[in-house]
Amino acid sequence: MIQLFHLFKNFGPSIALGDLNLRVHEGEFVFVTGPSGAGKTTLLRLIFGAEIPTSGHILINGVNLSRISRLKLDLLRRKIGFVFQDFKLLPKKTVFENVALALEVTGEHPSFIRKRTHRTLKLVGLAEKEKAYPLQLSGGEQQRVAIARAIVKDPLILLADEPTGNLDSDLTKDIMILFRSIHLKGTTVVIATHSRELLEDTAQRTVFLHNGRIVGKK
Amino acid sequence: MRIRLLPYLFKQALNNILSNRVVHAIGLGTMVVSLLIFGTFLLLFVNLNAWVQGWGHSMSMSVYLNDDISAAQRAEITSFIGNLAEAEIKRFISKDAALRDLRSALGSQAGVLEGLSDNPLPASFEVTFTDMDDRGTDLKGIKQALQDMYGVEEVQYSEEWLHRFEGLMNIIKLVGFVIGGLLCLGILFIVTNTIKLTIYSRKEEIEILKLVGATDWFVKIPYLFEGMIQGILSGVFALVILYFGYFLISTKKMYFLGLAGLDFVFIPYQYTLLIILISVSLGLLGCFIAVGRFFDI
Repeated sequence: MIQLFHLFKNFGPSIALGDLNLRVHEGEFVFVTGPSGAGKTTLLRLIFGAEIPTSGHILINGVNLSRISRLKLDLLRRKIGFVFQDFKLLPKKTVFENVALALEVTGEHPSFIRKRTHRTLKLVGLAEKEKAYPLQLSGGEQQRVAIARAIVKDPLILLADEPTGNLDSDLTKDIMILFRSIHLKGTTVVIATHSRELLEDTAQRTVFLHNGRIVGKK
Repeated sequence: MRIRLLPYLFKQALNNILSNRVVHAIGLGTMVVSLLIFGTFLLLFVNLNAWVQGWGHSMSMSVYLNDDISAAQRAEITSFIGNLAEAEIKRFISKDAALRDLRSALGSQAGVLEGLSDNPLPASFEVTFTDMDDRGTDLKGIKQALQDMYGVEEVQYSEEWLHRFEGLMNIIKLVGFVIGGLLCLGILFIVTNTIKLTIYSRKEEIEILKLVGATDWFVKIPYLFEGMIQGILSGVFALVILYFGYFLISTKKMYFLGLAGLDFVFIPYQYTLLIILISVSLGLLGCFIAVGRFFDI
């Protein structure tokens, strides 16, 4: 599903990622971990096409990101859900509108968008808060809205960058349960985290990054 | 891009305008003023042009007679003019009538004429010409022929004035093009900056749209609608204000250089369409320039 070949990414003179090779299979659940500045976020942004690699290749579902047009990249992003550490919710839009946005850009029929958005918000436990605005919600609820927006279009891949970074341990568990339920439906999930708590009792594959290189796998 | 999305994107454009209404109102106001200046210039040009054309089509000629002209010589002149198909003797102004006209024209200053021992003004024929373009009238030739006749002191007609006005019209046309061009550049600058400001204010939203898979056109089209709406509104507002101004002026009788009562007309509908077309085109072009470099996410 995701293949990275000899991937390098530099920001000016500093090397964010160096000679990274990784393969994530369809339906797999993978953690990417490491200290701050290890290159976790850069890796996810490269997979998402939000950054261009300095060298190397990224294949998503067999498609080489460096060889596709801007339009095809936009269309490919519709198959990838991304959960941002800072949620990236629009404060002037309601919970429902924030989630529906991911479907509106695809040009789906409004009745389909309504139905699917309701269903997804129910799945993440926010059916009662559809009309609320993000700033009226707790951190955990905002995170669930961000997850709902990422999964509402049934993505093939779900990428999450420190999805529990701002949450307490109870909320972290709730969010992880949500990710596992999404994974059980067949979605490939890649989570970047530096939280040891998250990794302690997990049987999932974990990739350890340090200074932009893979230093271990579990 | 699916056609079904267009109403959604149009709604987005209206929402954007409402949420950035102050910026849009300032931009719109400035555009209206610019178009109004352009429209006023067009209105003046159209009317001046119509007046000059009108004079060109019906020219008047004054044939001044010697004081000692005989009745036979006068009859010869009358018959010469009568034989010209396009000419008509409007009236004969006798020496006394000429003095009376001058006296009434001078009004309260007429006292200066009291000291005259005899009337210095010549008698004259006032001749008008119509349909000169169709008949290919040779005014110069007629003037020369009349001047060669016995009893004619001098012949004057307004062709020299007309030439001067035609020259003036060409200058006005040139100035109009320059002012119009500068105003168009100004409008383009205003639209570009208005849209840039609204893009800046929605930068976060644009970034999120791109991250959830929106194509460039999905993001750009609402801005193009915004520019188009701004163009249409400013064009319509400018025309309404221009018409209102025209209405106020046209209800009063216009005199130009004291020559005659003039008809003041509104710009033809082709020009109103031109103003709308210019404002919409500039609105769209300004948006294209503004959105051009904003989507490298």
